[in-house]
Amino acid sequence: MKEKNQADAIINARYHLREAERLVKQTGIEAEEGGCGVTGFACNIPVSGRHIFEPSVQMHNRGNGKGGGLAAVGLIPAKLGVDQETLDTAFLLQVALLDETVLLEMETRFIRPFFLVAHEAFIETVDDYRDISGLEVKPPAVKRYFVRVKPEVLVHFRKERGLEALPDYKVEEEFIYQNTYQLNLALYSALGEKRAFVLSHGRNMMILKIVGYAEQVAQYYKLDNFDAHIWIAHQRYPTKGRVWHPGGAHPFIGLDEALVHNGDFANYYSVSEYLKQRNVYPLFLTDTEVSVQVFDLLNRVYGYPLEYIIEALAPTGEMDFDHLPEEKQRIYRQIQAAHIHGSPDGPWFFIIARTDVQKKQYQLIGITDTAMLRPQVFALQKGDVEIGLICSEKQAIDATLASLAKEDPRFGTIADQYWNARGGSYTDGGAFIFTVKESEPGKMDLTCTDKFGRVIDVPSEQEHLDFRVALPPMPTGHVDHLRSIVRDLSKRNVEGLFSSLKESFAKWDYARFNTFLDLLTALAEEDDLKGPVIGLLARLLDRRYSLGNKRRRSILQMVSNTLNAIFLTIPMINDTGVIMYGRRIDWESRHALRGPLENEKVLIADAGGFPPEGDDSFAQLISNAYRLGWKRFTCFGHRGQRFLGCSFGSDSQGVRIDAYDSTGDYLASGIDGLEIYVHGNAQDQLGQILKSGKLVVYGDVGQTFMYGAKGGEVYVLGNAAGRPLINAVGKPRVVINGTALDFLAESFMAGDPYNGGGFVILNGLTFDQNGAVVPLEIPYPGSNLFSLASGGALFVRDPHKTIVPEQLNGGEIFPFTEIDWELITPYLKENERLFGITIDDILTVDGIKRNPEEVYRTIGAVKLSVLSGGNALAMNEEWTGEE
Amino acid sequence: MAHTPGIELFKLPKKRPVPGRFRNALGKYRVTVSNACTNCGLCLELCPYGVYKGGVKRPRVAQDHHCLGFSCSKNTFYCVNRCPEKAIQIKLNPSFEILGDRRWPPELLASTWHMAETGELPYQDLNYKTGNSGGGFDKIRFIFPKKKVHSVPESKISTAIELNRSGDSRPRITIPVPFYFGGMSFGSVSIVTMLSRVRAAAALKTFCCTGEGGYPEELIPYDNHIITQVATGLFGVKEETIKRVRIVEFKYAQGAKPGLGGHLLGDKVTPRVAKMREAVTGSALFSPFPFHSVYSVEDHKKHVDWIKEINTRALVSVKVSTPTDVDMVTVGSYFAGAHIVQLDGSYGGTGAAPDIAKKNIAMPIEYALPKVHKFLCQEGIRDKITIIASGGIRSAYDMAKALAMGADGVCLGTADLVALECIRCHHCESGRGCARGIATTDEELTNLMNLEWATQRIINMYLVWRRQLVSILKRLGMSSVTELTGRFDVIAHLDYIKQEDVEGELDL
Repeated sequence: MKEKNQADAIINARYHLREAERLVKQTGIEAEEGGCGVTGFACNIPVSGRHIFEPSVQMHNRGNGKGGGLAAVGLIPAKLGVDQETLDTAFLLQVALLDETVLLEMETRFIRPFFLVAHEAFIETVDDYRDISGLEVKPPAVKRYFVRVKPEVLVHFRKERGLEALPDYKVEEEFIYQNTYQLNLALYSALGEKRAFVLSHGRNMMILKIVGYAEQVAQYYKLDNFDAHIWIAHQRYPTKGRVWHPGGAHPFIGLDEALVHNGDFANYYSVSEYLKQRNVYPLFLTDTEVSVQVFDLLNRVYGYPLEYIIEALAPTGEMDFDHLPEEKQRIYRQIQAAHIHGSPDGPWFFIIARTDVQKKQYQLIGITDTAMLRPQVFALQKGDVEIGLICSEKQAIDATLASLAKEDPRFGTIADQYWNARGGSYTDGGAFIFTVKESEPGKMDLTCTDKFGRVIDVPSEQEHLDFRVALPPMPTGHVDHLRSIVRDLSKRNVEGLFSSLKESFAKWDYARFNTFLDLLTALAEEDDLKGPVIGLLARLLDRRYSLGNKRRRSILQMVSNTLNAIFLTIPMINDTGVIMYGRRIDWESRHALRGPLENEKVLIADAGGFPPEGDDSFAQLISNAYRLGWKRFTCFGHRGQRFLGCSFGSDSQGVRIDAYDSTGDYLASGIDGLEIYVHGNAQDQLGQILKSGKLVVYGDVGQTFMYGAKGGEVYVLGNAAGRPLINAVGKPRVVINGTALDFLAESFMAGDPYNGGGFVILNGLTFDQNGAVVPLEIPYPGSNLFSLASGGALFVRDPHKTIVPEQLNGGEIFPFTEIDWELITPYLKENERLFGITIDDILTVDGIKRNPEEVYRTIGAVKLSVLSGGNALAMNEEWTGEE
Repeated sequence: MAHTPGIELFKLPKKRPVPGRFRNALGKYRVTVSNACTNCGLCLELCPYGVYKGGVKRPRVAQDHHCLGFSCSKNTFYCVNRCPEKAIQIKLNPSFEILGDRRWPPELLASTWHMAETGELPYQDLNYKTGNSGGGFDKIRFIFPKKKVHSVPESKISTAIELNRSGDSRPRITIPVPFYFGGMSFGSVSIVTMLSRVRAAAALKTFCCTGEGGYPEELIPYDNHIITQVATGLFGVKEETIKRVRIVEFKYAQGAKPGLGGHLLGDKVTPRVAKMREAVTGSALFSPFPFHSVYSVEDHKKHVDWIKEINTRALVSVKVSTPTDVDMVTVGSYFAGAHIVQLDGSYGGTGAAPDIAKKNIAMPIEYALPKVHKFLCQEGIRDKITIIASGGIRSAYDMAKALAMGADGVCLGTADLVALECIRCHHCESGRGCARGIATTDEELTNLMNLEWATQRIINMYLVWRRQLVSILKRLGMSSVTELTGRFDVIAHLDYIKQEDVEGELDL
């Protein structure tokens, strides 16, 4: 009851703000829209703003340089000229002065009368904005104030606005909120002449934004040496307006939170109306602004815990709702009833950075919409330092880690875990929270939880490698033993050697593993052993095997470094001399591209320096190389370069591409014959319209995997994100060993699976920390499976019969037959060969080997009248059998 | 805008008479000869339009759709008056009145058939300029200068437009007529219909879009005149077909049915259609409304980049419907690297688009065009992008009005089908399609139409359109069609202008 009174009091206290609506309407501006690239990370130690560069440079193609912004939370007092006490308690008010002559007016009207200012200063900038290449509009001068509201002002405010029910701190917060609102209304939004606006006013956090790219913010405002626990950045891609103002750039603020947004939701006006009913009026007219207004309303006005705020934004629906415990259903139903109109509808993904003043902690929060229409990747790394990351693209995460690791080797270049959130789900709620909090004096910890508070952690008994410390040399005896092992490579096949070694890795320590890699590197100097060495190293990356007490990410980092080192020993395309194995090409040498000479087998291509798309793209280089006669490609150093494998045209059989590091979107799209092996996780939109050929991904795949595919043989070790195989036709044959977020094989039209058509095998498996195959809790948690499908089939490993007809709309569950088993066995065998997931593993249920009929279930298409045009179909019976 | 060099070298295809396929063509008038006839043969001699053919007992009324009707009465050769037996009667054809609809009233249908048949403007009293919808193009008129303008000889008037105005490294493509033909998939129409449109496009040196149903092999000889469509179902989209063409079109939405993807009901999905789309015979094919991979402008850019990667010389066209923020959509497409934006207004769509969608969702093209044109001018990028209007362009006059409202060119669909004797019965989607063998996939029905016949019909009609456009430009004193774009001052809406206020001649 107390909360309700307080909420009502705050809402009523804003009644006079409705004036804004009239003023804003007069200017006749409409809501803006646009897409974006977003990124953020939270770390248990403060790190420099420079590291937010790397991912945002990577995501230029997600913005157009018309708006970029950064927020930092959890700051260092010394850098700001205040003590810790002030930093923790005072509101850090940052005002952007687009017109510097407004300063006096602004201060006279909005600062001096109300605030006790503990510290004030202009933010340092570079002398001339033109020194920053590409920056076209001078960023605003920013003045920073550490303020508390004068006690007498607060007394008056409380009385005038009827806030007697509120505790002091809430009254002060509301004052800050309303003062900022009035400042923006007077000096930015309403009059149309944009003179000044508040960038941020929360505690222990600050925001900067400009017309330009996000990294230019960091450069212009000299954030190189500015450290913070949490950083978020945004590249904006506005489509409207010739003159852009930094006010339209993200992040937007609530009180102590900054929000960046990727997407464009459809019900802006509905959400605005919902807010207006609660006396909240948008001023900047972007959907991002209203998003954070809703967040602030639920958080500060209604006092909801974070879980309920997330529920109000991204309501749990369909089958997921039924899976919730009864008590949660009751609460969620009420939240949905009360706030559904404030729930953004359509594609959106929010990253929020905030100071939780009451709990004395900093948080980085990522929330996805219920249909998962925007790309999103989460990652966690723990060790000497702890970091959680949220980005639009996985490569941005890797770029941040690389940037951090370069400066501080306590960071690894690879995260312990990467994952996607399942929007509005009962499994994770579509949201993850990284919380940085002091666990003991002077020591900050990072914890990751999902919407429901379940902790995501790394296996604590596995020790990471501290790359700062040199590993001890091995006793000569051990080295000789290892040497004899690697020597075997010249005699034995790579797979055989890997299999025989697989069991030993658990017992090796880092030093031995390191020596092993060194010996392999040495071996790779021999031309005819390069291939086998690379093959063995690739298996170390690709396969899951027990590592004992070693951390997998450390091993991956070592192997990855070794591989890169070996790649870099390959002579350049324009070097002289006869080479047996292959040639290397990179951005600098791209113009020297030529066809292979007699003995040259492999083109080793360093993607690193290439732009992600366009006429000079890496994908274009590779397809040009193909036309010049190259057939084998080893591509490494990817930083999100897109379209790899595209543009080869038809009949590219006999071509093989091996791709390492952070490959980009649309990989293998449209391939018709060639084979691509992705050694690691892949990104979004893989295999669009894939025609034929082979795609193997030793990891997860992103959104709309194989949309509109026509064929091909595809193996995925891990999971697919939302909407895989949607609208696929023809004869794709796909094995997904993990699961998919939702909408798997919607509108699947892949003919008769028993007669040349397509199908998907969904195994619902994962690996435990020792690399052993284990089943997921359920093979397919989504509410939509095979919806509106008219052809093809799904074979789901579902021994406990968890798939229910409610998930299917157009599909039907059929008994799994011997014919089905015959049909899928060759693909499971290949799956075994590629990933080491044996058919025995698959058929073993709770420790007992079962018959295939007990393990798999078949989902096939049924004729829906909506798909066949009703009864008239009978006329067309003569068609059957004609194909 | 400068003349495009070399465009004068373009040679127009020849018109050729192509009579209708059916024994009794539909005309405005019905001519009957009574028993009183003595078969004297005078009417055959008199009628310069060949309405009569000789018969055993009496002349046969073979082509009453060529009859001038009552207005012939002033002529000395008016058969009704001259018939010695008073055996000839001319009446309004009752079947004619029930043809078509308000947008395509019978006179517009008949005049289009006439143009397709003869390659000439109709001489009968048929309104070939407007329909009867009571709004939009049907209420908009040209204002021609009263005083004689500096007149350019017709042969010197250019109707050519440039499709790549971006200034990027991709080829410039000039088409000698300011129109091309919109996407109708194989499956929605027959292979003969598809090919005839493509061949007509090739003859006119312009383009025809494949629609979303694959790229039948028969089209390969005309690759240079084909726009291949990448639509939301991705049916039949292959690298090979994308590489083949000079323009690739993304279909985001159709003005006739925004919020709905393409759909082809099961009955039309014959084995060949299914094979082309690699789908299941007899199962309806619904394309999703959005591209599942595109939910924002940066996704769109990535999507465009992808196609550009596959075909490094192709231009990219983006077809969108006309939502209220169509101006922002256009600017977004431009920044994402599109060369052409096709604005598809709400009137388009054949019978297959559901009525509820066709008439109620998108913005009419007459609203969208000026909105977009003005906004692009404000943004300073109007001359960097080609705007193509579509969705209910039925006549040369509609085309010219669309240009005056801000388009660079137009995209056509239904008019082609009418040229092939479509009667606008609105049953394109039902059963195996069209009784006239146009929008069908049934083999027997497909054979109702001969390819040469169909190609020439379409060519004939557009030759007339082009002539009309040239004469409009001439009256406006313009030497190039590019001068007409965005000239709001040369048009007026009848509801909002008084004739006496017009400084010029209102073209009623």
